[in-house]
Amino acid sequence: MDEKFDCIVIGGGVAGLSAALTLARNNMKFLLIERGEFAGSKNVSGGVLWGSDLNKLVPNYWEEEDGGWERFINHRRLTFMDEQSTFSLDFKSKHFNEAPYSGVVVLRSKFDNWLSAKVQEAIDASDFAMDSFIATNIKVDEVLMENDKAVGIRTGEEEFHADSVIIAEGVNNLLTRQVGLQDKYVPADHMLTGIKEVIRFDQKVLEDRFQLNGLSGMSNEFVGWATDGVEGGGFLYTNRDTISLGLVLSIKDMREKKRSPHDLLNHFKTHPTIADAIRGGEIVEYSAHVVSSGDSRAMPKELYKDGILIAGEAANLLMNAGKAIQGMDYAMRSGILAAETIVKAKEQNDYSSAVLREYRAVLNDSYVMKDINNFQDAVHLLHTETMQSKVPNLICDFGRQFFTIKNEPTPKSEKMLLGAIKRHSSLWELIQLGFKARKSL
Amino acid sequence: MKNLKLSERLGLVSYRNQAKSEIKPHIVVDTGICNSGCPHKCTTWVCPANCYTLDESDQVHFQVEDCIECGTCMYACDQGAVDWNYPDPEIGRGVTWNFG
Repeated sequence: MDEKFDCIVIGGGVAGLSAALTLARNNMKFLLIERGEFAGSKNVSGGVLWGSDLNKLVPNYWEEEDGGWERFINHRRLTFMDEQSTFSLDFKSKHFNEAPYSGVVVLRSKFDNWLSAKVQEAIDASDFAMDSFIATNIKVDEVLMENDKAVGIRTGEEEFHADSVIIAEGVNNLLTRQVGLQDKYVPADHMLTGIKEVIRFDQKVLEDRFQLNGLSGMSNEFVGWATDGVEGGGFLYTNRDTISLGLVLSIKDMREKKRSPHDLLNHFKTHPTIADAIRGGEIVEYSAHVVSSGDSRAMPKELYKDGILIAGEAANLLMNAGKAIQGMDYAMRSGILAAETIVKAKEQNDYSSAVLREYRAVLNDSYVMKDINNFQDAVHLLHTETMQSKVPNLICDFGRQFFTIKNEPTPKSEKMLLGAIKRHSSLWELIQLGFKARKSL
Repeated sequence: MKNLKLSERLGLVSYRNQAKSEIKPHIVVDTGICNSGCPHKCTTWVCPANCYTLDESDQVHFQVEDCIECGTCMYACDQGAVDWNYPDPEIGRGVTWNFG
């Protein structure tokens, strides 16, 4: 292949595939490179793809018999956990039953592979049906630079040339570092390890246990005892006939507290509430992957340079501000915006940063950067010890008293609450927390 | 549900090029650095696949065969001992997730 591509997309994850799909539909000649056997084969997520962008990318995706996704979310739960108890905020609504859904659970090996088939269909329908490619089993060793401008990539002895490169390599962004947009060493401070098991059930058992109807699903996040004092949280998502159960754990905190992720996952699973949820299941996969915390201090210095754009988690576009762990939707939107910027660059025949900086502008103007910037304080707040252990303990303590009926005179709830506050925190600490929460959420 | 041991968990992972006896390690660890003054040796507990182990005399050893390419050690090691890369599709190990 001596011919030059308009664009080389590195990585067959959500960001890279969304970029590729957008390029194909805009009649661009591109090469998508994936190092795994197929798109998705190296990818891990919790995970829920939030929002309705998927419907923009693949209109009416839900009409397909098996559209790559597992279940749509109509039931959400945020659970505070202490050693014996769980106290949940639980919201289920028919409002969420209508397509396009506001969140779908995915398993990446299946979902990304499905999305990759959509890219191939779009390639086949484009003017470059014979000239654009999805190439798997190729590891990009280097982004080729000439006069500090990207001109292609090298894999082993082989080179592929292009006017532009979209780096969508994921959180372990070695190429982003190679081109100088991120430091060579990224410290553990704002990085977490996600660890999970996929647990299989008889589908009827799963649907009855979690009160699922058809393809409806539940997402449940956990804070408190789940991580045994390590910064992070837990999650449980329902797939078709499996659940994804796992933890997200601060690497720095595990280092300092001498805790191992697989021990913590076992710890989480011994909680009575979790044990009841997973009884009788069969573990079919164990996986782990680094995930960024959404702290903007971990972001690359810039997301563009001459001939290069960075999309998805390679750009650390991910956030958990308490409401949901968002990352795949950011990947999707940033991939689309990166590809649209490349389309403009081709129209102007200028792939320099003078044109590519447009990507940064539209990303800043999108909900992705607006949310990341607006909710930084919430990200910091969530990672404090108060939110990680004192508040869950306090809430569960209060819950235990409130829901205990003793055939004795019952104190007023306020008294119970004040008692719980005193045992785990202080009124002053909670007032401060309340102010911070009001401002940050 | 019975909790699985780590070896049982890793037994559920599909590794690539498993039939090949010679593979090219995608991570190179300078255990000399680990064993000469690292204040924590944290890779021996943070790695989800237990690729880093301690022997009886507290020396760190590394094996790449069980690696699931998560990246944790690349961030956890702040001593410059871990040279992390992705596995070569042909001559490396690494994973193929069935669920992901």
